[in-house]
Amino acid sequence: MKKLLSLVLALTMVLSLGAIAFADGPIALTVWGAEEDQTYLAERIEAFKAAYPDQEFDITLGVESESTAKDTILTDVEAAADVYAFASDQLPDLVNAGAILDLSTVEEALKSVAGKSLDDIKAANVEGSITAATYNDTFYAFPFASDGFFMFYDPDYISEEDAQTWEGLLDAAAAAGKKVGMTLASGWYNTAFFNAAGFSTSLNADGTTNMDWNGTSPDGYTGVQVVQAMQAIAGHDAFMAIADGDISNQIAGGDLAAVISGTWDTALVSDTFGEDYMACALPLLTLGEDQVPTRGTVSFKMIGVNPYAENAGWAVMLAEFLTNEESQVARFEAREIPPTNIAASESEAVQANKGVVGLTEAAAVGVVQSVGGKYWDPTASFGEQIAQGTIGTDEASIQTALDQLVEGVTAAVG
Amino acid sequence: MKNAGSAVAGFFAAIGHFFGDFFTAIAKGDWAVKLTLLIWGAGYARRKQYVKAIVLTALEVGVICFSVFFASQYVPKFGTLGTVVMEQQLNMQTLKMEFNDYDHSFLILLFSLFSFVVWLIAAVVWIRSVTGAYRLQLDAEAGRHINTFKDDVHDYLGDKFYVTLLTLPIIGIVVFTVIPILLLIFVAFTNYDQQHMPPSALFTWVGFTNFKSLFSSGGMTVTFGYAFVRVLGWTLVWAFFATFTTYFGGILMSLLLNSKKTRAPRLWRTLLVITIAVPQFVSLLLVRNFFSNGGIVNTICARIGLTGWLRSMGLISTSYIPFLTAPGWAHVMIILINIWIGVPYQMLIATGILMNLPADQLESARVDGANKFQTFRYITMPYMLQVTAPTLVTDFVKNINNFNVIYLLTDGVYTTTNQLMANSQAKEVDLLVTWLFNLTQNYYNYKMAAVIGIMVFIVCAVFTLVAFNFLIRGDKEGVYQ
Amino acid sequence: MKDKKIGGIVSHNLLIAVLCVIWLIPIVWLVCMSFSAAPNMNTSTFFPTEWSAKYYVQLFHSDTVNQFKAWFMNTFKIAIFTCIICTCFTLMVAYATSFGKFKARKPLMNVAVMLNLFPGVLTMIAVYFTLRTFNLTNSHIGLILVYSASSGLGYLICKGFFDTVPRALCEAARLDGCNEARIFAQIVIPTSRPIIVYTIISSFLTPWMDFVFAKMILNAGISENYTVAVGLYKMLDKSLINSYFTIFCCGGILVSVPIAILFFIMQKFYVEGITAGAVKG
Repeated sequence: MKKLLSLVLALTMVLSLGAIAFADGPIALTVWGAEEDQTYLAERIEAFKAAYPDQEFDITLGVESESTAKDTILTDVEAAADVYAFASDQLPDLVNAGAILDLSTVEEALKSVAGKSLDDIKAANVEGSITAATYNDTFYAFPFASDGFFMFYDPDYISEEDAQTWEGLLDAAAAAGKKVGMTLASGWYNTAFFNAAGFSTSLNADGTTNMDWNGTSPDGYTGVQVVQAMQAIAGHDAFMAIADGDISNQIAGGDLAAVISGTWDTALVSDTFGEDYMACALPLLTLGEDQVPTRGTVSFKMIGVNPYAENAGWAVMLAEFLTNEESQVARFEAREIPPTNIAASESEAVQANKGVVGLTEAAAVGVVQSVGGKYWDPTASFGEQIAQGTIGTDEASIQTALDQLVEGVTAAVG
Repeated sequence: MKNAGSAVAGFFAAIGHFFGDFFTAIAKGDWAVKLTLLIWGAGYARRKQYVKAIVLTALEVGVICFSVFFASQYVPKFGTLGTVVMEQQLNMQTLKMEFNDYDHSFLILLFSLFSFVVWLIAAVVWIRSVTGAYRLQLDAEAGRHINTFKDDVHDYLGDKFYVTLLTLPIIGIVVFTVIPILLLIFVAFTNYDQQHMPPSALFTWVGFTNFKSLFSSGGMTVTFGYAFVRVLGWTLVWAFFATFTTYFGGILMSLLLNSKKTRAPRLWRTLLVITIAVPQFVSLLLVRNFFSNGGIVNTICARIGLTGWLRSMGLISTSYIPFLTAPGWAHVMIILINIWIGVPYQMLIATGILMNLPADQLESARVDGANKFQTFRYITMPYMLQVTAPTLVTDFVKNINNFNVIYLLTDGVYTTTNQLMANSQAKEVDLLVTWLFNLTQNYYNYKMAAVIGIMVFIVCAVFTLVAFNFLIRGDKEGVYQ
Repeated sequence: MKDKKIGGIVSHNLLIAVLCVIWLIPIVWLVCMSFSAAPNMNTSTFFPTEWSAKYYVQLFHSDTVNQFKAWFMNTFKIAIFTCIICTCFTLMVAYATSFGKFKARKPLMNVAVMLNLFPGVLTMIAVYFTLRTFNLTNSHIGLILVYSASSGLGYLICKGFFDTVPRALCEAARLDGCNEARIFAQIVIPTSRPIIVYTIISSFLTPWMDFVFAKMILNAGISENYTVAVGLYKMLDKSLINSYFTIFCCGGILVSVPIAILFFIMQKFYVEGITAGAVKG
């Protein structure tokens, strides 16, 4: 009986494989990737063509930064690339606009051509990346890189001991006449302090965000306490609040002894801090009597498929190929970007990379953010207010500020 | 106001005339004129104007084809803006995506408007060809000369030359400006936003809801009304200062350069004009980095102790001077930077106009013993104002819509510290246009952007009307002819 | 008395010199930065610590981000066509509204004033979809259309200039049997050199300055198709600014130089044209 069943199974496999009709003419596909990735992507596309020699392809590679992919795609989904890379925080907007393909609808094709099921892909990548690629219990995209932030510091000025807490870090920097830099005016960064207290955000099916930072967290800390801790840090002489996107400039400027940034700055940090630079998780935050880890955001870069792609089936194959283990290894070699593929990240080169070590440490305590489009402007403004010190230090003004923040973030979309 | 009244009356009289002629033509025309109702060229063919007849009939065929093959797909759905939601399925054999015949609300709206405009033009051509055919009939009956094709061509290079000149430019304006503006007005009455983005979702008509939500402030802070009032306020302040600072700055600069005391005025002028020659996106992006929080100016200020001094005075609370990142500072800086890019340009204009300043007036002022300030106050300025008042008005409107300066200086740099504005995706330094640009680019809130766009139009229109009625009386057009 | 006069002249010229210095500081900074030996922005000193022209060389060696040569040629091509169409349209509308005698003249001019009051950025999306229908997005023809199709609306300054052309001249020509077309081509155009130069320069410059429309219409991410403005703008992207800031400065200089030369050659006409137009417009 069992034999018969497996025979039938094998037969259907063969049949379904045979059901794919390779097209006569070339299959036209368009791909968008970051500027820095163009050379690497061009190579991998050639590899893709080699992997499917039975089918002719005509693949166009275009430039679209992962951080702005959503903006361009949503302006005109039908004109957007078939396969595109994006940052995980854009997923809800892409899904709500119907600009990303539900992968379960093409799983059959994926199985029969690439020989992988969605479960295989989920198993091959780190758990956080799969969570980030899932929205409303639907799996949408192929993750390929971890993209969180952590701390770099210069051991010439700051000891490992100092780097354990914000107070130690800031005092050590002040003693050396140096600064500690971090972006506060961005909801991607400043959520770390609220996460530390056990606060979280979540996303509803209609794209609105849930947030309770104006209340008390499950861990028993109040939002007011968190803001007071942030104010203490921002008010410290050695703290430098850096505008979003200006961090690299400031690192190059040479005034910093420590900075909260990500792997994209590794080379620059190595130049400025010296090759003995250190990378680690964010320091401990003091909330009342306790010291808790500052939990940074864990995000990912992923590749999605446009549902309006004419050759959606082949687009999925390409997206899968560009994020498979081999591609992720190649990407790490080209750009030192930490892979999400578990096998790829176990290689010695990856394990020895200081940036990856820092990211891994930060990710161990980090939180996968799940927020909607209305989250960003209010939280950016909130961070800026703390950076500029425009919120009073008394509990009442902090509470008012938090209430307004929550009102803005939880507002209806539209 | 009287003028406007008679203009409106004249307009309706003209329309009445237009239709009056049409009905007379139908009533009194012969069979050929009546046939023109069906076949546009008929009346002309009867009078042997074959080229015109062919052109008109071809146009008619074109309009019919357009209606049948193109407009019919969209116009019937105009009332609902579409009902069929997109569905798709992957064809397992070809690995291609297959779609149902779904509706795209935006294209329905756009192409319906397009069709309406085409039909309106077609209707005018149709009516005119009937009245034209009737006029030909009258001419023929009275034995007057009937234009040959050659005569017609002659006409279009002679008395009707304006038609030849205006046709192409007007088509361009209609397709690339009028239809888009109509579309924007219609979108303000729909729910086109992130929840209703074609092609995956449909949007539909919602009446005045969007206008209500702009002005309602029922205790909620997350309304556009709060942000709207503030953004509008800054837009007007900005337009005022941007217009007048560069205007007077340009005049003063040109007086300074054209003074007899100036050595090598051409050299100085050339140096100043270099700033115009650098494209704005280069010069403004550069200046923005120049004044950024960690930029070179801040480094220098910190080094010479200015930052520390300001800090001790309590003027800033940060370790840098927030030139472009704090309200107040940014407002002043934006106006100053605008002076930097605007004054050389105005200087060029003022130089040209002041060259025409009547020399005898200056001379007699000098004889009367007027000092420099008095000459400026009583002769130069009145002359300048009289000559440039209309450009001042258009400059003001241009500044209300001055996208480049604000966008290039503040986008991605300025973060508002006003939580309530942030909740409406606005910033203190936003103009109405940059705000609505941001709403469409990052939040896909087209419906509210359209409402704001209409508000911008109303603000500009009111200002222009008032300015033209009170500041600039009379029509100067004829004076120079 | 004489000393006072000399003192006055010196202080007067000194004031002008100071103003010019203030006006030129950012430009000087741009030039200095473009000769920096470091790829990123220097925030600690005004002058670069090390000088080098190597980024000018690199600007002409295309890589995946920088395609300056292609951008420059694209923009040049677009600018030429935009310039031709814009100039024709503007002159045509200006002539018709200044010299034409027809009933719809005033209403048409009023409509034009109204249309100019709507914010252009908002109509962008409709223009985009119109172009897409005709498959003209990601094409330079589409961009040329965007820049030039509505140029008839900018006729006012030109009309102001035409209003100053002596009518007696035209009347005389008319009596000699010239038709309107010949008056336009043989009398009005030759006497209007300043305003034509003004129109040519300002329409030629549009494609070099605009990045909003260009970015929207060239949205396929194919770098070789960009215009200079889009390409250089993208160099200041957060992830690129550190390696491309100096190249951005070089590109900015190289775009400005031809424009500046154009300005200096045409300065006289430009001033005459715009002032004559503005005075009566």
